[in-house]
Amino acid sequence: MLTKATTGRAKRPSKPITLVGVDVYIITENGIPQFDDYGAFKIEFISNRGTKVWPGYVSEDLMLVNWYRCRFMATKTVTDADVDTFLAALTKKWKWSAAQKLWNYGDEAGFSKAY
Amino acid sequence: MGKHVITMLPGEGTGPEICEAVRKVIDHSGVEIAWEYEDIGLDCLEKHGTLLPEKTIKSIAKNKIAIKGPTTTPIGTGHKSANVTLRKLFDLYANVRPAKLIPVLKRPWDQIDILTFRENTEDSYAAIEHMVSDEVAQCLKVITWPGSVRIAEFAFKWAKANGRKKIQCVHKANIMKMTDGIFLDAFREVAKKYPEIEAGDIIVDNCCMQLVRNPAQFDCLVLPNLYGDILSDLCAGLVGGLGFAPGANIGDNCSIFEAVHGSAPKYAGMKKVNPSAVLLSGVMMLRWIGEEAAASKIEKGMNKVLAEAKTLTYDAGGTASTDQYAEAIMRAMDTI
Repeated sequence: MLTKATTGRAKRPSKPITLVGVDVYIITENGIPQFDDYGAFKIEFISNRGTKVWPGYVSEDLMLVNWYRCRFMATKTVTDADVDTFLAALTKKWKWSAAQKLWNYGDEAGFSKAY
Repeated sequence: MGKHVITMLPGEGTGPEICEAVRKVIDHSGVEIAWEYEDIGLDCLEKHGTLLPEKTIKSIAKNKIAIKGPTTTPIGTGHKSANVTLRKLFDLYANVRPAKLIPVLKRPWDQIDILTFRENTEDSYAAIEHMVSDEVAQCLKVITWPGSVRIAEFAFKWAKANGRKKIQCVHKANIMKMTDGIFLDAFREVAKKYPEIEAGDIIVDNCCMQLVRNPAQFDCLVLPNLYGDILSDLCAGLVGGLGFAPGANIGDNCSIFEAVHGSAPKYAGMKKVNPSAVLLSGVMMLRWIGEEAAASKIEKGMNKVLAEAKTLTYDAGGTASTDQYAEAIMRAMDTI
């Protein structure tokens, strides 16, 4: 039900929203994950405590914890149903704590990159 | 002691002129250093297409020690901070910032000697941000047990090695019971191994109030990243501002020493900015690499110039240029 509390607030001008990927938070004790081909979603980077650990240079001093943010970007136009299918496939092999859909707002990404 | 090879990162804005003055003073101390100059920051964006070129990364990885001038971090949008990238890339998990009273600067307090140990790689600096609806943004605050243990270990070891008596963990665990809770639990666990050092904790808002009311009561503070960022600037303000605030970013195998102030681009080329913060970072660096005599000589020279109060930069009430101030320190070093 719409009330004054929901309709009277400050509104930000809205932009068209496009689903472009999904961040999945994987828990593993076996180091940096290696993923199968998931078709509609392709791994772009993996970070640990916000620091990119794949692909590219990783300091041998870097302390890794057992929780990795894995960014999967859509390889084609995707829907929420595609995300459901992808996560169902991922669940067969990986333990994950959360997933966050990645949206573009107009031309701007609504998500940060890893350091 | 043999010759050291150290990466010099002059940065941008006033960074190059400050770092040149600092290099001259450090060389004047008699310590043998081969400097490797490398680019970093906005100025090298056009040249290399990145704030932090691969060549710079390789130099730091090879030499393990670097000293850095100020760089600018774009606000809101654009490129990632070169500073944060360096800290993450080399896992420089301990940000150490001393705040000691500077004699020439009149402050309302007689005694301040505070060391802040800021966890430098986690917290809301993990860069995990999402627009979760068109009107709601979220940022994940990531605090880990191993990350919290190692900054606490680092602080207690440093305190013990330098004769400090008391460490307090600064937190907001009454509200953020899991994130700040894990940081506080780890601190308490580590503290058990150091019975000779008084360990306590204080809630961050109360700590801010106590710092401005009675800063002399504090010795060492251990903080998660965001509180550490804010409170170390507060401590710098208590002793005379960022012009005199040095800092060290230390990891297990690599360390980068830098002032905490910005690049002050409006003063670039005017050679009027105070180089003390970078110079004191250099003093920290010399101590870290075992060059105590050189570090002490520079520190005494600088204190002598400040005590005489004849050759001071504008922020300390004088009219001397960056170079004139550095030359005065070198002359003072010759008398020590």
